[in-house]
Amino acid sequence: MSFSLPSLLLVSLLYLSFLFALAHMTDRGMIPHQWVRSPLVYVLSLGVYAGIWAIYGAVGMAADSGFGFLAYYLGISGAFLLAPVLLNPIMRIGRAYQLTSLADVFAFRYRSQWAGTLVTLCSGAAILSLLSMQIKAVSTSVTLLSPGASPQLASVLFSLTVVLFAVLFGARRDQGSDSHHGLVLAVAFDSLIKLGAILLLGAITLISVFGGLDGLDAWLKGYSGQIGALEARINDGSWRALMLMSFAGALVLPHMYHMTFSENPSPRAMARASWGLPLYLLLLALPVPVILWGGIRLAVDMPPNFFALGVAMALDRPALTLLMYIAGMSAASGLMIVSTLALAGMVLNHVVLPLRTPRDQDDIYRWLRWVKRVLIAIIIFAALLFHEVIGKHLDLSILGALSLTGLLQLLPGALGIIYWPEGNRRGLIAGLVTGTLTWTLTLVLPFSHAGHLPVWLQLPLAPDNANWYIFTFVSLALNVVVFTVVSVVSVTTKDESSAAQACSMGALSRPQRRELLATSSDDFIKQLAEPLGKNVSHREIERARNQLKLPAVEYRPYQLRRLRDQVEINLSGLLGPSVARDMVKRHLGYKPMAGSGTAQDIQYVERALGDYQNQLTGLAGELDNLRRHYRQTLQNLPIPACSVGDDGEILMWNHAMEDLTRIAAEDVVGARLLALPEHWHLLLDDFVNGPDLHRYKHRLDLGGRPHWLNLHKSTLSGPEHSEGGSIILVEDQTETRLLEDELMHSERLASVGRLAAGVAHEVGNPVTGISSLAQNLKLETDDVNILDTANQIQQQTRRISTILQSLMNFARTGNHAQANRYEPVIIRRCVDESINLLSLSDKGRNILYQNECPESLTVLGDEQRLVQVFVNLLANARDASPDGGRIVIGGNREGYSAIIEVLDAGGGIPEDQLDHIFEPFYTTKEANQGTGLGLSLVYSIIEEHYGNIQVESPAGPQSEQGTCVRLRLPAYEADTEMAGVNPNQRF
Amino acid sequence: MYIYRLVFLLVLAIYIFSPNILDWWVTLGNAWYSPYLIWAGLIAMGFWLEWRRDPNEF
Repeated sequence: MSFSLPSLLLVSLLYLSFLFALAHMTDRGMIPHQWVRSPLVYVLSLGVYAGIWAIYGAVGMAADSGFGFLAYYLGISGAFLLAPVLLNPIMRIGRAYQLTSLADVFAFRYRSQWAGTLVTLCSGAAILSLLSMQIKAVSTSVTLLSPGASPQLASVLFSLTVVLFAVLFGARRDQGSDSHHGLVLAVAFDSLIKLGAILLLGAITLISVFGGLDGLDAWLKGYSGQIGALEARINDGSWRALMLMSFAGALVLPHMYHMTFSENPSPRAMARASWGLPLYLLLLALPVPVILWGGIRLAVDMPPNFFALGVAMALDRPALTLLMYIAGMSAASGLMIVSTLALAGMVLNHVVLPLRTPRDQDDIYRWLRWVKRVLIAIIIFAALLFHEVIGKHLDLSILGALSLTGLLQLLPGALGIIYWPEGNRRGLIAGLVTGTLTWTLTLVLPFSHAGHLPVWLQLPLAPDNANWYIFTFVSLALNVVVFTVVSVVSVTTKDESSAAQACSMGALSRPQRRELLATSSDDFIKQLAEPLGKNVSHREIERARNQLKLPAVEYRPYQLRRLRDQVEINLSGLLGPSVARDMVKRHLGYKPMAGSGTAQDIQYVERALGDYQNQLTGLAGELDNLRRHYRQTLQNLPIPACSVGDDGEILMWNHAMEDLTRIAAEDVVGARLLALPEHWHLLLDDFVNGPDLHRYKHRLDLGGRPHWLNLHKSTLSGPEHSEGGSIILVEDQTETRLLEDELMHSERLASVGRLAAGVAHEVGNPVTGISSLAQNLKLETDDVNILDTANQIQQQTRRISTILQSLMNFARTGNHAQANRYEPVIIRRCVDESINLLSLSDKGRNILYQNECPESLTVLGDEQRLVQVFVNLLANARDASPDGGRIVIGGNREGYSAIIEVLDAGGGIPEDQLDHIFEPFYTTKEANQGTGLGLSLVYSIIEEHYGNIQVESPAGPQSEQGTCVRLRLPAYEADTEMAGVNPNQRF
Repeated sequence: MYIYRLVFLLVLAIYIFSPNILDWWVTLGNAWYSPYLIWAGLIAMGFWLEWRRDPNEF
């Protein structure tokens, strides 16, 4: 059975075109999003790991070393089973800082462009061998299926096809913001084809060749010859080396890093992959021994590596053969495309961009896309070159071992990222160079026949197909030793330590609070325009601003620092972490530090801890709860409080402070005091910088009303607070101050009252004298005129006496020290007295008071205090009435209550003020016209008399004006059983 | 970090002794697919751990 080369090429192209169409449809959203991002697709896409090994390499290795072939699958299975402690931390760092490749992670963690470049070069060198392995497998399979075909031609055609599809598949993402969903689905489909094909071949072999499991068992027992190496002892060395390399593969293989971390749809998918990928690989490995034995039984005349094709051909099944070819070609092309894409990204970020940062580009994204495409082509052609010169002479397993040993050199640094914060860039670079050099000299050069160092040095051991693993361990051991020693001996920079902390397991970054040169987000755009161009700069800042949900123009230092970090993260996804960091450092710089140290960015840490909350367990969780408790205590403190850093940045602004100032914490926390409204800024700035720790009764006009504030300050400096700052308490003393003022006013009034009583008393004596003299005059004359004059004099003196009596009575009231004296009070008399008192005033001369209270209406109470009630009510009615208005005071009895109504014809009280009129100090009169205490006093006196008060405005349903104040007091019944008791004894 | 050290130790031990464990398992005369059973057991354990994992855990 054979196929022609053009037909194989056509089948390959058709299959890859189908894959590309699938990817294209996915990218256009024609396939439901939830399918594309489902954990199953993610797990299947990770199957890219197996590559050509799944179809060809595994059977070949099983023939050589029995179950040793499982090591290639078991190592990575172990890594995924340990995902929570191995892969999740890397994923967390990658997601937080937009690190899209292992080189990015290295450059970020070790704060060195050299680290990133070295990792890229090492990965690039090592991956060539893996790519060559794929090319070799496909070209060999083509020559086996089409015996006349030239392997070189097959290699070149396959490489060209891969270049075409890699360029089409990849380099489509332009801003690091979206995943290659299409690529992921295509790779997942690839994996499905691989698995389906190998399982189908296994099943057909089992049934057609052995007649089922029992037949296989019988054959195994009965066959005395070689049944593969499956009964042989496992070679410990190669097993361990392969296990280790496969374990490391989860982290260090560029295509695996890309698929595992960059294309990861969710942490949930990673959790599923922790057992899903091992299960997939188990299914992939299950038919391998059966195919091997099938090949032996059918006496397939091919190398065991290609038994998958050989068995299908021996069974004379062309469709199955073609399926196995497609599965192999698809596995190889999938691995090549993904690893080339990943490597092109690394080379772009860590080799091209550090050498040449794009400036003055119209469209930086387009430029990046084209550079990446060119790099993809260069990498695949380099792999083809390697294959033609070296790779085609080597066995598949040796090609794999060469590649994986090179990549294994990245494992110490990768583990150091999560587990060894003390490791530094010097150690890493020294270790990596040592390991890579050893790998090159002891494995790459000898196997490529370019130089045989062990032979030249006359070492007792030279690498060959059986003992290569020794050199794998030697290179790794040297790498680890040098990395450790140099890291311990050399000094770690501060920058690197903080990055190490940020990357360590469960660590939080502790950024410092420093002032940026830029004072607003607009400044950011101007500063970044220099390296990126105006359009790109504007676009990037807008993007970061939208991600952080910041306002159009941001000026708060804390938010600007966040914005700076976000810009760096976004640029890192675009240009790689080193270039992004340099660019941000250079163009979005900080002001030079004034002091020796800077404070921690409390807001940043708080926010980070907030994001971290559901991940904190044990002691950390308890401490976080404690932190939250104290924070809540401060926030809910009923006294306004805020804290301010040494640089004037507001760090805390509690709820009471929000209520007092009517400024939301959201708007000012992280901003400087300068950002506050002027009156607050002047007050707080002056107080924070002043020497006083307390300031009493500072007057501040807020909303047109004066407020009196007490301020207290405590500095936070000390051994535990080296960063300094102060905490400020603001007490609102306005109510107390107003009460004090009112008290003083009342005291003054009381003095005036006492004075008036004294004057009234003194005036009373001469008036009594005048009255007596007038009486005498009446007795001494019969002249009618003189008698009339004397009567008038007596009438006027009585009037003076009444006035004086009223004045003295009023002056006596308001003495709260005295117990109320309750006695029957005739309301009409109270009202008359109040009218008399009011008539003394200059105001309202033309108001007519109409007292309609019946004489019989009596209540039990303190007459003077009730007079005070009516004076206040009538005064209000008078003030509200128009000139010449009439005020009617009516009264009647309703059951046991006496109802007194004061009705005026004034403008009425607006509805919104009705609820407030009995509040102390509430007044609508001008400042010197009223104190706002009158109705409050009325209310309390009526309460004391067990009555209540109602106000209706407008006065009646018909009228649209006027106010009716209705008092309801318990009526006094002279003939009730209580009448015989002294009323005062009841209380 | 205590738990991670324990995990590290366990993984190292399994790694070092894995060839011996597999050899022993194969030489017991078990069926050819018996190594896959150990592997499947590990996967089942991984599945169980993932299934009962508290979302708040690391």
